[in-house]
Amino acid sequence: MTVALIGFAVLLLLIIAVRIPIAFAMGIVGFFGFSYLQGLTFDNLFSFRWSGMLSLASNRIIDTAQEYSLSVIPLFILMGNLVTNSGLSNALYRASNAFLGHHRGGLSMATVVACGGFSAICGSSLATSATMAKVAMPEMRKYGYSDGLATASIAAGGTLGILIPPSVILVMYGLLTETSIRELFAAGFIPGMLGILLYLFAVKYVVWRNPEAGPCGEKLSWPQRLSAMNGVWGVLALFVLVMGGIYAGIFTPTEAAGVGAGGAFLIALFKRTLNLRSLFLSLIDTTRTTAMLFAVVIGALIFSDFINRAGFPDDLYNFVVSLDISPLGVIFVILGIYIILGMVFESLSMMLLTVPIFYPLVQSLGFDLVWFGIIVVVVTEISLITPPVGMNVFVLSAVLKGVKPGTIFRGVTPFWCADIVRLLLITLIPAVALILPEILYR
Amino acid sequence: QTVLRVATWLPPTDNQNTIVWPTWAKWVEEATEGRVVVKLEYGLGHPKTMFQIVEDGISDASFSFHGYVPGRFTLPQIIEMPGLGVNSEATSVALWRMYDKYFKAENEFEDLEVLGLFSHGQGTIQSNFPVTSLDDLKGKKIRVGGGVQTYLAEAMEVTPVGAPATKAYEMLQQNVIDGIFMPMAQQKSLRLNEVTKYITIFPAGMYMGSFSMFINAEFMDSLSEKDQAAIRAVSGEKLSAMAGKAWDMGDLDGYKAAIAAGVDINEVQEGSALSEQFNALMPASDQAWLDSVADKNIDAEAVLKELRHEARHYNAGN
Amino acid sequence: MALSQFIAEHYPDKGPAKWLAFGLECVTATTLMGLMLLTCADVAGRYFFANSINGAVEITEVLLAVIVFAQMPVITWRGGHVIVDLLDRFYGILLVKVLALFSTLLISAAFYFVAERMIYLASRSLRRGVVTEYLEFPVGYIVQFVAVMSYVCAATMITYGVYRAIKSQQ
Ligand code: NA
Ligand code: NA
Repeated sequence: MTVALIGFAVLLLLIIAVRIPIAFAMGIVGFFGFSYLQGLTFDNLFSFRWSGMLSLASNRIIDTAQEYSLSVIPLFILMGNLVTNSGLSNALYRASNAFLGHHRGGLSMATVVACGGFSAICGSSLATSATMAKVAMPEMRKYGYSDGLATASIAAGGTLGILIPPSVILVMYGLLTETSIRELFAAGFIPGMLGILLYLFAVKYVVWRNPEAGPCGEKLSWPQRLSAMNGVWGVLALFVLVMGGIYAGIFTPTEAAGVGAGGAFLIALFKRTLNLRSLFLSLIDTTRTTAMLFAVVIGALIFSDFINRAGFPDDLYNFVVSLDISPLGVIFVILGIYIILGMVFESLSMMLLTVPIFYPLVQSLGFDLVWFGIIVVVVTEISLITPPVGMNVFVLSAVLKGVKPGTIFRGVTPFWCADIVRLLLITLIPAVALILPEILYR
Repeated sequence: QTVLRVATWLPPTDNQNTIVWPTWAKWVEEATEGRVVVKLEYGLGHPKTMFQIVEDGISDASFSFHGYVPGRFTLPQIIEMPGLGVNSEATSVALWRMYDKYFKAENEFEDLEVLGLFSHGQGTIQSNFPVTSLDDLKGKKIRVGGGVQTYLAEAMEVTPVGAPATKAYEMLQQNVIDGIFMPMAQQKSLRLNEVTKYITIFPAGMYMGSFSMFINAEFMDSLSEKDQAAIRAVSGEKLSAMAGKAWDMGDLDGYKAAIAAGVDINEVQEGSALSEQFNALMPASDQAWLDSVADKNIDAEAVLKELRHEARHYNAGN
Repeated sequence: MALSQFIAEHYPDKGPAKWLAFGLECVTATTLMGLMLLTCADVAGRYFFANSINGAVEITEVLLAVIVFAQMPVITWRGGHVIVDLLDRFYGILLVKVLALFSTLLISAAFYFVAERMIYLASRSLRRGVVTEYLEFPVGYIVQFVAVMSYVCAATMITYGVYRAIKSQQ
């Protein structure tokens, strides 16, 4: 346990104080931490068998760069870029503004709702926030929203991507724990809606505290609203194509990313907004974000190799067991551990690292594994916006040049609190998660 | 006391991790009188990298599926062609014997010492449509793995869909695919019993999949000769048989899960039209394997014959 | 000409780095476009012609590696990786520069050492005849590509990356 904790401390030091890019800091601490556990000391620095360690790191790089399921990342980002490019985002926000804009913070509310909608076609939180950033941010800026509120509503809204089905993380959980994936998908739905609702309250709170953060627009008449809806047929068509395709079984969510990008490409061609120049810019913008994200995933994997080898998962398990407390108390201890780990970890590696350790314990205490899966995903969502390493926040700061992570983290605080409220509700009232699978499948 | 680290994958609930490794660990600890203890480690990467992880000394031992590294381990894939028609235990023991006798000298495993070899259960067709003739499969979208499955898919004129096995549930649930080639065990372990309606089992088997369990040769050298001998005594054929048996149990659990979920299981009768239709594919699939090992220094045809004889006459009692 | 104007406008890099960046991003842009078309063609083929593209998953995997690693040098030397800047306002400009220089050297070394190892792994994999499942494409070539791009990352970081770290006006 000590070695792993020292590893964490060094990692935080390198990231925060020495300003090393997170991807490389994780990779380097993981690499040397693992080497230490393989017997590296100052005395054998030159005779140490580095080749094995370098192979381990190299294989992580080679395999992750070719991971099929990660192909959703560039393709969904591209879809968002093309949608933005064809002017549909403007149309979408004109429509949203027509309905919600006269409220204070209305566009942020529309962003949260739109993130929820987008989550229903995208299994990844990072892709959801990257896409919605392209769609929503220019509009919110145009209407004078503060960077803090605007980015926070995207970063928080984007976390819904892994809860509202389909979800990569829920599938991984289902496979790790042999839990029904369709039940998990059904169970994610109501907590996802609850998330949208609570985020709307968070927006309300922010504009109540500081009306300048999200100014209200003019109130439109119903005919005006309906005509604003006219501009969004492209978005609707894309939604129907992607969602309909997934639910009718024409393609998988992974393939849906490619088809969605293709659909966005066709719409852009049809709207005559695309030329070679703008297409090229959309493409390279996507590949830049993609390379950055992959670097982080690779670094996180190398770091978790070290944590794993240090025996941290087993130590955590023993620690939890040694605390002589009630079953619900154990759940709260686990949640506390998740929130602490969530400060540093990227969602997928946190999931892969912890679930195999905790679920046998949770199961033996008599809890429902579908419910626990939803809890884990909600905590993972929280980790995406918890400083200092919040992936959704970093994606936004990478996509929106000029907005610093610090600004987003400050803005996201009310949303983070809303998430904690939601986590407590689901933990204390399991029916929130379990009622749908109960009705549909049990 | 030496710790022998075993890098493992598959869910912690899989028989490989609940039965095979723990049983072997117990054997090793007893045989070495506690001087060597076995420790399981999860999450060290994609199964295909397990060979390298052990080769490079990151972990001491592991197991993997030969199909993940196409082109490197062609010899043990001898068991994958259709028509063997026995359970995993018999196949695994026969495969070990052929490895020990003929394949070892070909050095496909280089710096690794093979601890045991085993096979997953017979492949079946798990689908959302009934299969009464191979013509029913024509044009259907079927998820296939690599190797001999690709070959069968081609011969049956299905529309092959390549995807990781872990995507199978989702793809079946959403009707992206109409069926899948898989052993029975996945009815339970991947919960395919929730998303398939029909299972077709061929009397002489459809295909099998070969795995190896291996250990770093340098690590073995670092142990005392006594301990090396002790570990070898509880590995080889003994370990192969035990692993095969555990995978057979996995198939049985899958079978029960399928029954419980009301999946329609069609055990094709020997001599029926469907069985004859399938048998017609066999000579060509044998040839495909023989071609793949043409560059090796063995009489492949004779070994194949011997393997099938050994497997079919294996008696679990002896 | 329109092209040189476009490059001047969108590639702020200096000297040869400008053209290297443009060249690499032409590769990544084309590859991404190809990835999108491949998925669409695969799905369309499956539904309209009962014939999907053989090995579409494998091609996807290779294209993904090309996108990520052809892009890696450009975003790395431009400082496109995520850093935590919470303490910047307490640090002076000089300290921030020194830390940036330190990161640059560290990243360059990291890429160099893994590239060395990957070249070895690639040749080992080629010698053993390891190929992809459906298309039987030698896996070693993909590894070689990733290794070469890692060398490019190391080389550009130790030259242009260092120059940028020193010159930056942050
Ligand atoms: Na989703
Ligand atoms: Na975090």
